[in-house]
Amino acid sequence: MGISRYAMLGAFALVSLSLPAFSASAEDVTISVWSLDRDIQPAPNLINDFNKLNSGIKVEYRQIQFDDVVSEAMRAYSTGQAPDIIAVDNPEHALFSSRGAFLDLTDMISKSSVVKPENYFPGPLASVTWDGKLYGIPKATNTIALYYNKDMFKAKGLDPNKPPQTWDELVEAARELTDPAANVYGLAFSAKANEEGTFQFLPWAQMAGGGYDSINSEGAVKALDIWKTIIGEKLASPDSLTRGQWDSTGTFNSGNAAMAISGPWELDRMIKEAKFDWGVTLLPVPEISAERSSAMGDFNWAIFASTEHPQEAFKVLEYFVSQDNRMFKDFGQLPARSDIAIPPTGEPLKDAALKVFLEQLKYAKPRGPHPEWPKISKAIQDAIQAALTGQMTSREALDQAAAKIKAVLG
Amino acid sequence: MKRILSSVTDGKGFDIGLVLLPLAFLFIMSGLPLVYNVVMSLQEVDMFSLGSFSRPFVGLKNYVDLFSQPETRPILLNTALFVSASIAGQFVIGFGLALFFWMNFPGASWLRGLFLVSWVMPGLVVGAIWNWILSGDFGVLNFLLREMGVTDGNIFWRSDPNYSLWAVIIANIWLGTSFNMILLSVGLSGIPKDLFEAAELDGANAFQRFWTITLPMMRSTIGAIIALGLIFTLQQFDLFAAITSGGPNNASNVTQYWAWDLSFRQYDFAKGATISVIMIVFVMLASVVYVRSTRHEVRG
Repeated sequence: MGISRYAMLGAFALVSLSLPAFSASAEDVTISVWSLDRDIQPAPNLINDFNKLNSGIKVEYRQIQFDDVVSEAMRAYSTGQAPDIIAVDNPEHALFSSRGAFLDLTDMISKSSVVKPENYFPGPLASVTWDGKLYGIPKATNTIALYYNKDMFKAKGLDPNKPPQTWDELVEAARELTDPAANVYGLAFSAKANEEGTFQFLPWAQMAGGGYDSINSEGAVKALDIWKTIIGEKLASPDSLTRGQWDSTGTFNSGNAAMAISGPWELDRMIKEAKFDWGVTLLPVPEISAERSSAMGDFNWAIFASTEHPQEAFKVLEYFVSQDNRMFKDFGQLPARSDIAIPPTGEPLKDAALKVFLEQLKYAKPRGPHPEWPKISKAIQDAIQAALTGQMTSREALDQAAAKIKAVLG
Repeated sequence: MKRILSSVTDGKGFDIGLVLLPLAFLFIMSGLPLVYNVVMSLQEVDMFSLGSFSRPFVGLKNYVDLFSQPETRPILLNTALFVSASIAGQFVIGFGLALFFWMNFPGASWLRGLFLVSWVMPGLVVGAIWNWILSGDFGVLNFLLREMGVTDGNIFWRSDPNYSLWAVIIANIWLGTSFNMILLSVGLSGIPKDLFEAAELDGANAFQRFWTITLPMMRSTIGAIIALGLIFTLQQFDLFAAITSGGPNNASNVTQYWAWDLSFRQYDFAKGATISVIMIVFVMLASVVYVRSTRHEVRG
């Protein structure tokens, strides 16, 4: 009695173990993808199209919120529940690749006929690179440039076809354009104490020869001094310290700021809301011959090292990459590639802006890459805020930030 | 055997069961996370070791590091100022309103109910609305102050380090006043009316009646409200997230927001836990006051 019961149990256990194995071999391979894209954005649409191809790979999609991407991915990875593919924000890519959480794709990319590293802008490509190896594929990219209100330029006697090209010209133009009686500030930007502040400030430091690893260099101090001048003389709203880029550019759209520093994600709203003639120009440089630089935003694709189907997952990524030429037309996002000619949209303002942003993208630099980027970024944000509120000089604030960053870099 | 069984269904065993059940629930839902939090504050934790328990034990290093950071002292002072100013504001205005509605004019109870609307609103919504009111360039508050001649220029409530903490305090007072008022109204209605009549006959004026009857009779209610207020203001997170994000330059940063920022923005979970442990001490003190001041209610 006792023995046969155990035998029964054993047989049952065997059957239940082997059942899923049989059924899996008969069915498609399932690949799970997590990203923050909503229904009108690339990921879910590309996945729908991919599933229609019936390639023997079935893709399941899950949308995660922007703020939850890293924590959710970490939790899933450390408990063995990670998806096969995920989209992460580019400054956070190194956090995962440095710890071996992402799969090294270097070999697969070198054999691939679709994914070619030389097609990508250097900035996005650097953000997926760690220790000389490729741990992901840039999903899309964006950067920041200077928007300006041409009507206000004309009204103040400035040439609307000659927007400011250097820092001094920018400050000068902002002085001319600022009109407290009419509730108009010369410039709108964001010095908020979150990643947006770092995103907006780093390009300035880089243009003057600084960087996150040399944040207290002569040039970076000068850059922060210019920011101090802009806030100190009220050429930009003091609320720039607590306002994000989206809200700051909102004041430009409503005619309360004559210039704004922001990215291409503003274009659709600006075309709808701005009741004036506007243009976009490259981010002003310290002096005419200086090196250009800009911020680089947006997400990267990566495959988790824990995946059971690396080949199939890579095939899915190859499909995403093959659809890059639809990115701007269908979803309003810029592919991170220099080999794709983006067709005109028929909207003259948007097409002109696009040209500037594509030019600016050539100079876009990633933040990091460094596995402890959030701490580095926090040090920079603290310095910006300490200097702009007048509690420290630019030099003191950036020296302090440099000390904090040095502790992180080791 | 039978005795034990009968004691469980009707006797001492039943009493013990009644106590054990909620105690077990409390231990699992609050006790364990609390202990886990304390353990985490003694370890080195990052995103990759979040899923396992075996993490390097670093003793009090997190505490030492935390107190050597330049922003720690101002943030602790901010928290003290935020808590005391919020409680004082909420209590004084709430008490004033409670006394006002206690006069029982027509429609008093109806109006008092309406005041609760502010308490019902989610913190993030309140924050978003105050965000507009306090906005520097286009804010309603600045407009009013200017038109009334109180100020000549705009005050940048959210971005000026001298004002940003007060911006959150103002919003928090608005949010918590009605709750104070309702609890105090309940306390007021519990005072027997004949006490006042007797005092009035003896010639006590309104101020004396308030000082010698109302206040002493309300002592336990006031203790409870202040303890609850301490807990609620130490919990207040949404307003900071919506109005100032703790800025500029930590001028309006408080421990509860800082703990979140360290844990979920900079992924330094050990430091976040360390701050939480420090906060637990204060909340425990408040709880003791609360339990002591409400004890007689249970007995009565």
